[in-house]
Amino acid sequence: MIANRYAFILAGGVGSRLCLLSERRAKPAVPFGGKYRIIDFTLSNCVNSGIYDVGVLTQYRPTSLRQHIGIGRPWDLDRTRGGIQLLQPSLDSNESDWYLGTADAIYRNLVHLRRRTLDHLLVLSGDHVYKMDYNILYAFHEANRASVTVAVTEVPADAVGAYGILETESSGRVVGFQEKPRASRSRLASMGVYLFDRRSLIRWLTEDATLADSNHDFGKDLLPRLVARGEAVYAYHFRDYWQDVGALDTYYQSNMDLLSDRPPLDLSDPSWLVHTQSADRPPVRFEAGGAAERSLIANGCRVAGRVVRSVLFPGVVVAPGAVVRDSIVMNDTIVMRDAAVDHAILDKEVVVGEGARVGWGDAMTPNQACPDHLAHGLLLVGKEARLPAGVTVGRNARIGAFVTEQEITADVPAGGVVRGPEPEH
Amino acid sequence: MRDAIALVLAGGGGERLSVLATERAVSAVPFGGKYRIIDFALSNCCHSGVRRVGVITQHAPASLHDHVGSGRAWDLDGRESGIVILQPFMTRDQAGWYRGTADALAQNWDVIEESRAARVLVLSGDHVYKMDYRALMAAHQRVSAAVTLAVLAVAPDQVHRFGMVTTDADGRVLGFEEKPQRTDAHLASMGVCVFESEVLREALRGRPVDLALDVLRVLVRSGARVQACEFDGYFEDVGQISTYYRANLDLLRPDPRLLLHDARWPILTRDEERPPVLLLPGADVAGSLVANGCRIAGRVRNSVLFPGVTVRAGAEVTDSVVMQDVIVEPGAKVRAAIVDKLVRVGEGATVGAGDPSPDPSLAWLDGLTLIGKDAEIPARATVGRQVVVGVGARPSDFGGEALAPGARIADHVATQELA
Repeated sequence: MIANRYAFILAGGVGSRLCLLSERRAKPAVPFGGKYRIIDFTLSNCVNSGIYDVGVLTQYRPTSLRQHIGIGRPWDLDRTRGGIQLLQPSLDSNESDWYLGTADAIYRNLVHLRRRTLDHLLVLSGDHVYKMDYNILYAFHEANRASVTVAVTEVPADAVGAYGILETESSGRVVGFQEKPRASRSRLASMGVYLFDRRSLIRWLTEDATLADSNHDFGKDLLPRLVARGEAVYAYHFRDYWQDVGALDTYYQSNMDLLSDRPPLDLSDPSWLVHTQSADRPPVRFEAGGAAERSLIANGCRVAGRVVRSVLFPGVVVAPGAVVRDSIVMNDTIVMRDAAVDHAILDKEVVVGEGARVGWGDAMTPNQACPDHLAHGLLLVGKEARLPAGVTVGRNARIGAFVTEQEITADVPAGGVVRGPEPEH
Repeated sequence: MRDAIALVLAGGGGERLSVLATERAVSAVPFGGKYRIIDFALSNCCHSGVRRVGVITQHAPASLHDHVGSGRAWDLDGRESGIVILQPFMTRDQAGWYRGTADALAQNWDVIEESRAARVLVLSGDHVYKMDYRALMAAHQRVSAAVTLAVLAVAPDQVHRFGMVTTDADGRVLGFEEKPQRTDAHLASMGVCVFESEVLREALRGRPVDLALDVLRVLVRSGARVQACEFDGYFEDVGQISTYYRANLDLLRPDPRLLLHDARWPILTRDEERPPVLLLPGADVAGSLVANGCRIAGRVRNSVLFPGVTVRAGAEVTDSVVMQDVIVEPGAKVRAAIVDKLVRVGEGATVGAGDPSPDPSLAWLDGLTLIGKDAEIPARATVGRQVVVGVGARPSDFGGEALAPGARIADHVATQELA
């Protein structure tokens, strides 16, 4: 454990662009890569960098995140000194209940810095998939005598509108910051990884809290203001794989990236393991007629059918004659005999009935409910939904969580929506 | 089960497991694609509510100690639960080594005494089975027995492997024969028994050596109430190559008798963090168990692959047990073999080539080829059936000739490397 280091991980985001996947769980708790949750990457980066003192800021639907993190065992964060704390918003006498923005979330948790002897504070996001040694960020920060260092990654020119874009001098000093610009000369996007000088941060957050016209957000308010004021803001250019998996298409693509011949993210590197909470499951069982190619299949799966270009989480069953293709299938989902699943994301414990065809036909009608996220052929089936035997579900369809066989009385056309019960509050 | 302490006998060296147990105790030999043999006894303890466990070790205990660790995997690291490793130790009066199973219990009597347990559950770390020890305990208490043995019916050709018991209609043990060549008895002692602590203490006073011969047989003869409790589940003593291999391959049957996918009685183990199995283009896997961390580009049939095994393009693994982090290079073939951890099978090499020899002196190998841990098999080498390649064998040990049945390449043990 490296002394005097502490990280806040922002894990409260609503994740509306992930549609059904984050309807009932916080975005950092969305399953990824055949056995992980998205937050595992950030947590593993912390401990692999020697940071064993972490606070996770939650807000939106924290239950599954809370269950996943537990006392932090898989990351060796169940410690006598340091460890992991889940920090929920609390009702204070003179504050509004909920976090207003990312800066407000940190501001409201400054109390946790009081008894820690820190020169710096690391602020991370729990929504990103990457492997990064934060020690390099600290070294860069100190060498530049920066007040704040922002890790940046290069994004395609047509993607700048989704990110905070930084303009830098050759020294790395930041001279411009635009939140989600329509176009920009720079293609350096903020990764949501910030290293702050502690005293400066406290001063800035205290000031920001008093400003009526602020959204109290790092990207929208605080960082542009600091750059405009000429504070020592530096950008650290991270050149390895980094993916914001906050939207369905990037989520799907970065899962599929793991299947390429040279995956950009090596999950088996023993020097930088990605740790997760995993249940004790037996090895994958391939039955006599089973076949699988270009796929990731986790312990506890049983494959008697055919799996092609897919990611299967623990405990998935693919029955004889069934085919799963170009899909992501989460824990304990069952694909019954002779069913076919194509270009689909099936959440946990879904049942695909015998002979059902999920992801069928040439029609590409965008989804009626979320045309922005489900328009390119991918379909979504929510947690514990049960698709009746023989049903056909068209592309871009969305079947809600907990939908039962009785609620699907006819084939679901391309772009169709079957709503499940509203999530309970 | 709060009033019981379990002692797991895990000190055995396992001559009959050859290179698999050169550098580890039998209980620590990998099994079933991700487990160690001792996981079965420890998981049974965990699920039966046995909270205090002692593991008696002696032969090459390092890998067993490593595996057991603090007992976390079995929730034996609690405030009211615990696992303790009991290695031979010296005192002013005696010099250490356990002379046998009963002696090992006697030397650790203070641990049993301190636990204040009313009953002592004696287990073996070398057996593969799922058993609720509460049923054994209930049978024991129902008749207020001094000792209760778990027994199972075995075929007449298996009696020479076991302590055989005869019982009356109430299950009271009337006779006990250790490993008889021939007997009318058909109930075998599984090496799982519960003692009243007082009875065990008295029995150990005379410093007996062997638990079966010098304690159980003596108690039966003395007329003590020794009860048998019949077990009808899957049980295998995997202390020899043929039973070890078959118990592994039994898991691949369409309806295996030992169910690993059993949420009510999962087998717990110290899990390593490995990514899911990666199946590359060209992968062709059927009828096999393949654990997380494996990367497969070749063909796998009727085999058990432990975490981190790499099977490259054009390679084939058939009818084999392949342990952690073995690499099977392109075009290599592995057939009817048990391949220990970290072995590299060079490009185009064949392991298990040709047919087995009928030579009776090779019967113990059951037709299999054994490759010891860390061995490196050179490219294009041919290793026949019933060959034993020692731990740490180097390519230079192979020579140019094909290795025929019965060939043996010696171990390179760590201490030799240092010398």
